Amino acid sequence: MTTGVDVAGDGARSSASGRDSTGAGWLVLGAQECRDLWWSGRGPLLLFVLSVLLSGVTYLTATNRALNFLEQREAVNLVVQFAVALGVLAALIVSADGISGERERGTLETLLVTPVTRRAILAGKLTAALSLWFASFIVSIPYIWVLAGGVGIMGQALALAFSYGTLVAAGLASVGLLVSALSNSNKTSLAGSVLLLLVLFAPTQIPTGMPQGWFFDVLVRVNPVTSALAHISAQLVQGRSWTQDLSYLISPIVIVVGAAGALAIAGNRLVRLTAGGGSG
Amino acid sequence: MNDVTLDVVRLTKRYRARTALQAASFSARQGDVVGLLGPNGAGKTTTIRLLSTVLTPTSGEFWVSGRPHTAPMEIRRTVGVLPESGGYPAYETGEEYLFRQARLFGMTRSTGRSEARRALTAVGLDERARSRISTFSRGMRQRLGIARALINKPTVVFLDEPTLGLDPAGQIQVLKIVRDVAGAGTTVILSTHTLHEVEEVCSQVLILNRGKVLTAGSVGQVIAGAAVEQSAHLRVPLDLVEHAQQVLDRVGIFTAEHLQGRRGVLKIEVSSSARIRPAERPTMLNKALDAMVSAEIPVLSFELEGARLSDAFLQMTNTEAT
Amino acid sequence: MTRPLLLLASLLWVLLASAAPAEAAPPHVTVVARPDRVSTTLGDEFVIRTQLTNTSGADTGQLLVHLNIASLDGRAYVDPEDWSSERSQDISLEPGENRTLSWDIQAVNSGSFAAYVVVLPAGGADEPAGALVVSPMIKIAVADRSTLNASGALQVGVVVPVLLGGLALAAHLRHRRRA
Repeated sequence: MTTGVDVAGDGARSSASGRDSTGAGWLVLGAQECRDLWWSGRGPLLLFVLSVLLSGVTYLTATNRALNFLEQREAVNLVVQFAVALGVLAALIVSADGISGERERGTLETLLVTPVTRRAILAGKLTAALSLWFASFIVSIPYIWVLAGGVGIMGQALALAFSYGTLVAAGLASVGLLVSALSNSNKTSLAGSVLLLLVLFAPTQIPTGMPQGWFFDVLVRVNPVTSALAHISAQLVQGRSWTQDLSYLISPIVIVVGAAGALAIAGNRLVRLTAGGGSG
Repeated sequence: MNDVTLDVVRLTKRYRARTALQAASFSARQGDVVGLLGPNGAGKTTTIRLLSTVLTPTSGEFWVSGRPHTAPMEIRRTVGVLPESGGYPAYETGEEYLFRQARLFGMTRSTGRSEARRALTAVGLDERARSRISTFSRGMRQRLGIARALINKPTVVFLDEPTLGLDPAGQIQVLKIVRDVAGAGTTVILSTHTLHEVEEVCSQVLILNRGKVLTAGSVGQVIAGAAVEQSAHLRVPLDLVEHAQQVLDRVGIFTAEHLQGRRGVLKIEVSSSARIRPAERPTMLNKALDAMVSAEIPVLSFELEGARLSDAFLQMTNTEAT
Repeated sequence: MTRPLLLLASLLWVLLASAAPAEAAPPHVTVVARPDRVSTTLGDEFVIRTQLTNTSGADTGQLLVHLNIASLDGRAYVDPEDWSSERSQDISLEPGENRTLSWDIQAVNSGSFAAYVVVLPAGGADEPAGALVVSPMIKIAVADRSTLNASGALQVGVVVPVLLGGLALAAHLRHRRRA
């Protein structure tokens, strides 16, 4: 074994010419997190599962000659909702591992002693989670194209999927990161995030034939996921303009502003060796 | 030129129910190896985490390379840390892992790659640069962790239990790296349970117990300060034990008695009636050896007891406990 | 004797006539629909206009005007709700007044259909039933066009998962090979 130790220098002075601006710490971390996600195979596997589900729905729809024109629009809407829902779920699962996973794997401390700010750590994690949403959207493009082209709503469907999906994914990924930062174990964080998602998606499973009074309407609008999906449906299926009933956009915007804002404001206090308790 | 790299003044960390560190004060210079000694829960890891800015102090101050604790980002650029229970991404190679760390310190890709290779060479892992970390032994992972702590050429390196779980060969390797690092001018703060490591490599020792600094200084100062009563164990041929005892009695300053359970061994202590100053007591025992040599009695072994750091450590921590 | 009997009969007749409720004279409404014939393509939207005229001398009261669509060739199941989301409109007409109602329709099935508008007197079940007025039939011919792309769906449904599965497998093998 050979050892050789260079003369120690002031860490800030040495290799000065070999340094990027440390203000781009979140970019470096985000790129590393994305690399972890995609090169490790986790990302491609999630996308594969998404594509199999979308393939099934799309093929069954495209071969069902009993569907009338409106029902085909509803089928496009269904695929859009599938893509948004699954893409958001994937982003949430990745973000739920963000901080609690580092704690559990014992890698958080080495991250905390680097000159990357706590907020940059959160931003990098959020970037990786959202990359999964954007990839999910890209995967859904050919499915939406093949179904929506015949009914003339392809552009509208893609625009709605991208814009609303990004809004909801950003909001829920931020919430997932918050939950992760407040959890000491990955199990708790994942369980909490998945439970949140189930609660958010539950109203969409109420049969449409059941009485849906004002309370149900409030429930749908308060929930950022169902609210966004309902607004997409109104435009794709019922042909309404996006400016009609803009109140559907309130909860998705509130969630993304609230959760991302909480991360930005409380980032220093959230990203600690242990969650909760004490001035870390 | 001021070569003080670490200056700590009354550093304190309190949680709701307990005080993890209380008013710790010490300083270190370039090339110093400061050993943090103490039982579990003494505050060693807390000290390291405070000084590496992972934790925020409740009160007190410290400076690292002249940078105050209120500028944690500046401090992080100048320190390296090997945490006690750090994890590693199993699927990355050592070189990839260190490259990633280098990038987080703001290095460009090319600089990061070269620094990663340099750090791996420094810890003797250059031949395993392309191997996945999951294939590394525990000793190799510890060395990788030290490499990571050195990636940014820090002024101060904090090593928390670097030899924990290593076999003797691994411990020797790590201690050699510590000596090399300190020899190159880096200040090393070494937290350990293993007293002989401290004796071997540390220029300074801090003994902590229950969050308090019991003593600080060089190894010799700490031992002397503990004022542990010293004795010697002298082993001579069985047929000469009585003769040796008589020779020692004639010197007049020793009490020599058979050591229980060990045949042929005499326990020699400086007699309390002998008017010897405490500072001179440790060297007085050498006169017992001189007496054996003069009497031409073969000495099979001669061991000083109470002159080791372990004795001082036990004495201090037991005293503090009571 | 005859005179008192005649007087009694007249009295009885007057009493009976005043007791029986007089039947309201039904308001007369005519309906004209334009166009009477529509040729369109599947998915296209068009508008039907119906002009209602009160030809009687009395107010019509509240009327319910309802659009219905039926398949003439029996090929498609018609759900009128899919064709038009607003199929009922309320109006009331003063004597001599006419009003035009518009109906936005989207042809969601292909084939031959008939649309018609029915005018019903509004009101509860206790109200006297009135006559229905029906517009002339509007013939709608909807040409089919291909909106489903089954072969495209099959290609996409196979190629995309295969590509992604291959990527996932490649990443997995890459990791295993780097031991």
